Amino acid sequence: MNQPVYRAAVFGATSAIASEFLRALCEDHEAELLLFGRDESRLEATAADLRARGATCTVRTADFLDFEHDWKAELDGPTWDLFLVAHGSLPDQDRSLGEGAAIAREIGVNFTSQAVIAAACAEILDRQGHGRLAVIGSVAGDRGRASNFLYGSAKAGIAAFMAGLQHRFAERQAIHVSLLKPGMTDTPMTADLPKGPLFSPASKVGRLGWKAVRSGKPTAYLPGWWAGVMTVVRSLPSSVLHKTKL
Amino acid sequence: MITRRFTSWGRLEAARAAAVEPAWLDEIELGPAPRLAYGLGRSYGDSCLLDGGTMIDTRHLDRLVRFDAKTGLLSAEAGITLDAILRFCVPSGWFLPTTPGTREVTLGGAIANDVHGKNHHRVGCFGNHVPRLELMRSDGSRTITSSGEELHAATIGGLGLTGMITRAEVQLVPIRSASLDVELIRFENLDEFAELSTESGDGWEHTVAWIDCLARAEHVGRGIFIRGNWAESGDLQPHAEGGPTVPLDFPGFALNPLSIRLFNQTYHNRFPGKSKRLVQHYSPFFHPLDSVHEWNRIYGKRGFYQYQSVVPAAAGIGPVRAMLEAIAAARQGSFLAVLKSFGGVASPGMLSFPFAGLTLALDFPNRGRRTLDLFSQLDRIVREAGGRLYPAKDARMSPADFAAGYPRLEEFRRHVDPGFTSDFWKRMNP
Ligand SMILES: Cc1cc2nc3c(=O)[nH]c(=O)nc-3n(C[C@H](O)[C@H](O)[C@H](O)COP(=O)(O)OP(=O)(O)OC[C@H]3O[C@@H](n4cnc5c(N)ncnc54)[C@H](O)[C@@H]3O)c2cc1C
Ligand SMILES: NC(=O)c1ccc[n+]([C@@H]2O[C@H](COP(=O)([O-])OP(=O)(O)OC[C@H]3O[C@@H](n4cnc5c(N)ncnc54)[C@H](OP(=O)(O)O)[C@@H]3O)[C@@H](O)[C@H]2O)c1
Repeated sequence: MNQPVYRAAVFGATSAIASEFLRALCEDHEAELLLFGRDESRLEATAADLRARGATCTVRTADFLDFEHDWKAELDGPTWDLFLVAHGSLPDQDRSLGEGAAIAREIGVNFTSQAVIAAACAEILDRQGHGRLAVIGSVAGDRGRASNFLYGSAKAGIAAFMAGLQHRFAERQAIHVSLLKPGMTDTPMTADLPKGPLFSPASKVGRLGWKAVRSGKPTAYLPGWWAGVMTVVRSLPSSVLHKTKL
Repeated sequence: MITRRFTSWGRLEAARAAAVEPAWLDEIELGPAPRLAYGLGRSYGDSCLLDGGTMIDTRHLDRLVRFDAKTGLLSAEAGITLDAILRFCVPSGWFLPTTPGTREVTLGGAIANDVHGKNHHRVGCFGNHVPRLELMRSDGSRTITSSGEELHAATIGGLGLTGMITRAEVQLVPIRSASLDVELIRFENLDEFAELSTESGDGWEHTVAWIDCLARAEHVGRGIFIRGNWAESGDLQPHAEGGPTVPLDFPGFALNPLSIRLFNQTYHNRFPGKSKRLVQHYSPFFHPLDSVHEWNRIYGKRGFYQYQSVVPAAAGIGPVRAMLEAIAAARQGSFLAVLKSFGGVASPGMLSFPFAGLTLALDFPNRGRRTLDLFSQLDRIVREAGGRLYPAKDARMSPADFAAGYPRLEEFRRHVDPGFTSDFWKRMNP
């Protein structure tokens, strides 16, 4: 194999889904990865795993909630094949709703910071003329529901944002913008939720995510059967939805 | 921390325990004592359960730590599965030094039970290939143990009782192909098995036999001998993901003596002549049942037992014959009966199960008293032959048989971490 090195920058690289995504990527490519996160020791553990799989990794700590941060400067230099924006957090909704700052923080993690980073990456792709941008949203963004509309509304926001970028790059054949929508996934984020049959392993979700991005899919439910489930959830009349505990 | 249900493979009983799910080596908190580490619950009985305690679920500790592509020495977190290791290493021409009959087990679990595979007669147990590991104890300390050290020997095969294994090294072996040259040979009785076993010891790296344990009279002990060597060339394709899942619990009546007889005979008549050669990928060769997820559900809601013993080589084939006769007479057929000769490589752990001799493993649907009565008969045969039972498979052996079978038990006790225990250990120490 004599393909060129695949260069990717990952935000929230310590996420379980992102790690699995990157493992799958490393099976297909000799990769050079720039891993961003907030915790150095976690980043190093993630990097060690990927290095053992043949990747070259650099880790960098960053504060995603610092919206003044100059990401373009940070990413300046090489030509990028892929940007993956993966970070996110699942709030304790009942507690957060009573507190404006908590609401702002959750929207900041799950929407604003993703949008800020995605916008910077999009500009770089625009300039390069090619490359991929993938952001991890969620099925939770497909419809506001009593159980998690704080998280869901942020994920709905990033979905609209990504749809806008897709529109903007519609004529640019070499630029691919993907929104990944995992369903419930067994990762540290969902540690406190009882695991039912709707949960998928992170290995499956991450691997399918890489496949979707590799093939340039604009939107991918992970696993694919969530598309059907969410079609039903979206089309339920409110009078019916409101009788459920969803 | 949430409280949830933990199961073992036999589905005889489950534990409700507070779940700790560490995701990062540097941040492990063991949770309140008493506690026990948990891999994938592929042990059959209660050795991986601690009802009412804290269970440390290791599934998120699944990272590689280091891999030396020149020597094949792999260092990884304890919750990584053998499945994931194989997916990683096969494409570059490496394989596990030995593998149990399923790859759905964790590195930590493989060490804590010091599992064995079809090549035991050549390479010993899994733990023979674990030069170092890191152990976390109740006091929060983390110790690296190396082969030759007492704590290392206590932890390998130590049933999770010496603390939590956080990471370990395993020496992989080179392969040139992901397939094996396999030969299947029909044998009519146990004497023929013994001959095949002796004859295959040198030339064949992997050997095992499948026994038709419902055969009667002069047919007792007939079966198929399976032997294989890594192919010299071929592709290095790892196993495929997925496969069907047994969706629901099968009704118990699906496993009456008739259906088992049918299954056994079909298997026995799989090929017409005396023997057959084929090239097989490692997946069907080593892990034939992994292609059907949750096959343990075919035994229905009441669950099932596995009974695995080893009797010393000096006892000959007699004890195995006696066990098969007792099983046939009790008409409690086993879906799977596996017979293998363990070799003389010394086991590394104080409580490692294997020693040179014959190991017989059988599954039995749980029929309550009848099944337990049969086990008492088998126990007597094993005891008189100087054999022992495998804790990884056990849900009912007596403390006396455990103590008699494991002469290094008292030495082992000195290394048990007081903050760790299991339902099995409580049962052995009433
Ligand atoms: C279909 C099938 C075939 C099998 N074939 C074989 C075979 O051929 N040979 C063989 O030897 N076994 C075989 N087994 C048994 C299986 O290999 C062992 O029971 C194995 O230990 C299960 O690993 P696990 O990760 O599921 O661990 P669990 O069953 O969850 O735990 C096993 C033990 O390991 C301990 N443990 C787990 N993780 C850690 C850790 N990080 N630190 C400390 N202790 C830990 C637990 O406390 C427990 O005592 C088979 C099982 C099945 C279901
Ligand atoms: N798990 C699910 O069921 C599910 C379903 C749909 C969508 N998703 C989405 O999938 C993505 C990955 O999540 P995961 O399931 O893989 O969970 P995870 O393993 O817990 O990863 C979460 C990631 O987000 C980072 N993060 C959380 N809060 C942060 C903050 N305030 N500032 C910076 N980084 C922060 C974490 O960094 P640290 O390691 O430093 O904490 C970690 O990298 C998220 O966008 C999530 O919303 C998950």
